[in-house]
Amino acid sequence: MRTSGRPSSKVIALLVAGGVSCLATLVDSTVRRDTDLASRQSRAALVASLGLTDLSLFTEARYTRHPAMADLHSAFQDHPAAWDHFPTAAWVGPPQWGNQGE
Amino acid sequence: MNRTIERQRYLIDFTIASLARRRGRNLGLFAVYTLLVFVLASASLLGYGLRKEARTVLAASPEILVQHLLAGRHDLIPESHLAALRDIRGIAAAEGRLWGYYYDAGMRANYTLMVPSDRTIEPGTAIIGSAIARLRNLGEGDAVHFLSPKAKMFRFGIAGTLPSESELVAADVVLVSEADFRAFFGFPAGMVTDIAVSVRNPKEVATVSAKISRLIVDARVVTRDDILRSYESLFDWRQGMITVLLAGAVLAFVILAWDKAAGLSAEERREIGILKAIGWETSDVIAVKFWEGGLVSLGAFLVAYTLAYLHVFHFGGALFAPALKGWATLYPDFRMVPEISGQQIATIFFLTVVPYTLATIVPVWRAAIIDPDTVMR
Amino acid sequence: MGGSSGAGEMLFHPTVMALLLWSFAAVGATAAAAAFAWTIIREWNPASGSARQLELERRTYLIATLMVAVLVGEAVSLLLFVFNADSMAVMFVGAMCAVGTLNASPYGFPALVAKIVVFFLAVVWLAFNRADNHGWDYPLIRPKYRLLLAIFPVVAGSAALQLAYFADLRADVLVSCCSKLFVPEQKGVAAHASGLPAMPSLAAFYVATAACVAMGWGMRRRPGLAVAYSPLAAAAFVVAMAAVVSVLSTYVYEQPHHHCPFCILKPEYGYVGYALYVPLFLGTGLGLAVWPINRYRAIPSLAEAVPPMVARMAAVSAGSFLVLIAVGTAIVAVSNLRYL
Repeated sequence: MRTSGRPSSKVIALLVAGGVSCLATLVDSTVRRDTDLASRQSRAALVASLGLTDLSLFTEARYTRHPAMADLHSAFQDHPAAWDHFPTAAWVGPPQWGNQGE
Repeated sequence: MNRTIERQRYLIDFTIASLARRRGRNLGLFAVYTLLVFVLASASLLGYGLRKEARTVLAASPEILVQHLLAGRHDLIPESHLAALRDIRGIAAAEGRLWGYYYDAGMRANYTLMVPSDRTIEPGTAIIGSAIARLRNLGEGDAVHFLSPKAKMFRFGIAGTLPSESELVAADVVLVSEADFRAFFGFPAGMVTDIAVSVRNPKEVATVSAKISRLIVDARVVTRDDILRSYESLFDWRQGMITVLLAGAVLAFVILAWDKAAGLSAEERREIGILKAIGWETSDVIAVKFWEGGLVSLGAFLVAYTLAYLHVFHFGGALFAPALKGWATLYPDFRMVPEISGQQIATIFFLTVVPYTLATIVPVWRAAIIDPDTVMR
Repeated sequence: MGGSSGAGEMLFHPTVMALLLWSFAAVGATAAAAAFAWTIIREWNPASGSARQLELERRTYLIATLMVAVLVGEAVSLLLFVFNADSMAVMFVGAMCAVGTLNASPYGFPALVAKIVVFFLAVVWLAFNRADNHGWDYPLIRPKYRLLLAIFPVVAGSAALQLAYFADLRADVLVSCCSKLFVPEQKGVAAHASGLPAMPSLAAFYVATAACVAMGWGMRRRPGLAVAYSPLAAAAFVVAMAAVVSVLSTYVYEQPHHHCPFCILKPEYGYVGYALYVPLFLGTGLGLAVWPINRYRAIPSLAEAVPPMVARMAAVSAGSFLVLIAVGTAIVAVSNLRYL
């Protein structure tokens, strides 16, 4: 390019580099996909064979361990300030009476 | 066409020179911008990845689950219902499931004890989820002692661990034999935790579950679709709350952007005045100012998105893990499958770039209409 | 179960929040612009050198910049709206694509239609603005701001419909999907379009789009054709949409009885719907703007700028229709479905 010394060329090159790095995430995700999907398959197989219903992401309380299986209204029932999926839990503080001994 | 491109390139040249003259200020803006998009994008990628995971993995969960409700709480269900259920036309199989929670006081962790239907476990042995194996440093051939709720000590030889890639669904699972399970919890004979039903024709799930509700009136029937939908809205809603919480940050950022754009130094005012005196038009000045904002936005967006991708899919969302963990001591160590959705990216774009652009329009215009004679006098 | 149900529960969906936030900003900005438009129409007087006139001239740069940002954003938000409707379908019982999501509330389809109308108005207004910028004496200032006054209620109405729609959405309602709506046995526009005979409808698609391409080509020599081009583009839009519903979609699904214009947007079908709709909307939008802009070619300060601009718009519009023909033909050629 005849105007390669111009600042705009440098900045455009930087932006292109940023764009390329974003595209690289796509490439990375496709490269990983086969192994990752195989491990997902094995998860799905375990879910099917054991008859699992939930992700074991939140093991704090029984209604967070199995949100799909929990009682219909179970806010705070396991311990105060437990992670909860009810909207109010984000705003209502934990009750004062529990767990004072710890 | 070429002329327009050349013209814009000269404007960019000028913009960059002007950005470089105020390097500290613009780098600060760039850093804050990048941080904001990074947090939003990480939350969004993590939420979407988990949602997609739940959607695909839990698609293999039981088609219908029948729970017994007593006084609004989940209660044990008698095995005697099994025969009646199997008589319903359209039901292929009905099976009682035995599972429950065990709180390991020593480790302060909750385990899910379960009797598997797909394998037989020797009494006195257990297969454990790999998060438990890690937490308690256990391997095949070791043994654990669990204090049962009836205050009796049980010894389980570890017959194996579940594969580590299954941690996202079975981190805390302990598989034991039925005899051990019933003895450990003092679980009444003839009762099961709930009943899993499979249906001959997937299209009949709704009809079959209606029949089940009529047959067992105090039952709660949960279909696979219910499970999938509840996960869908769970993550969606969580992500929405995070976005609401971050709205304050976005707002602060918008105010910052407004302030940066509005607070023109005397030097900048003189600069614009001179430009107009030598023949620049208002629209040219506006174009330069938009290039300033656009270059910063675009650059910050590209960098932040790449960083967020690395954070979530290569470093397991390390910065968010404490929030996801809560008070739990058992936490699955999982590698997320990279799931990228154009919609998520477009949403983040709308939540950051757009308010930024709107906030700078008025200050940009104020700058652009500066009269040459007022600043050069 | 998580996320108990009730009206308004969908408002916390991140994309929904982004769309609503955007529409509020757009209404605010358009309201300010409309108020200014009123002043301009009453007080604008280029002959005067008063401070008031100078102030108005300066302010028109602000409003124009604001509206460019708003209208470009509205176009993007149409895309996001459809994308979101498609991806939210998993949350509704019985929904398989965007139709189910849009059908989950009576405001769904009106909101979509309003957004499409805003899109076309936006394209026309942006064209006015561009033409106006070419003249040194603000030649189109009055028509431009009159159009803006007309756009404001549409933008506000579209925002209101969208808010009503998202607030009304509930995850527990049973919705009917495209397999119930786009069938000839039902009543309504959708059903009517699905019932159109396949081959004549495909022929009409080719005739209408080819006519646009031909006329767009002809305008290089005879710019007067602009009068006919805009109505033709509008007609081609209707014909093309009808053809998508009645026949092109069936080629994509390779099922003669599946007539959904939204499922073709899904990844399963390679997002081919976007390849159809983007050129269609672009071609129609620019086509609609051709005639109104061309009317001002006689204005002295625009005599130099408007004719090439109109020619470019016509060329891009005709080119888009050409792309549309190519995509449509490719769909028919690749498909295993055969009518003849």
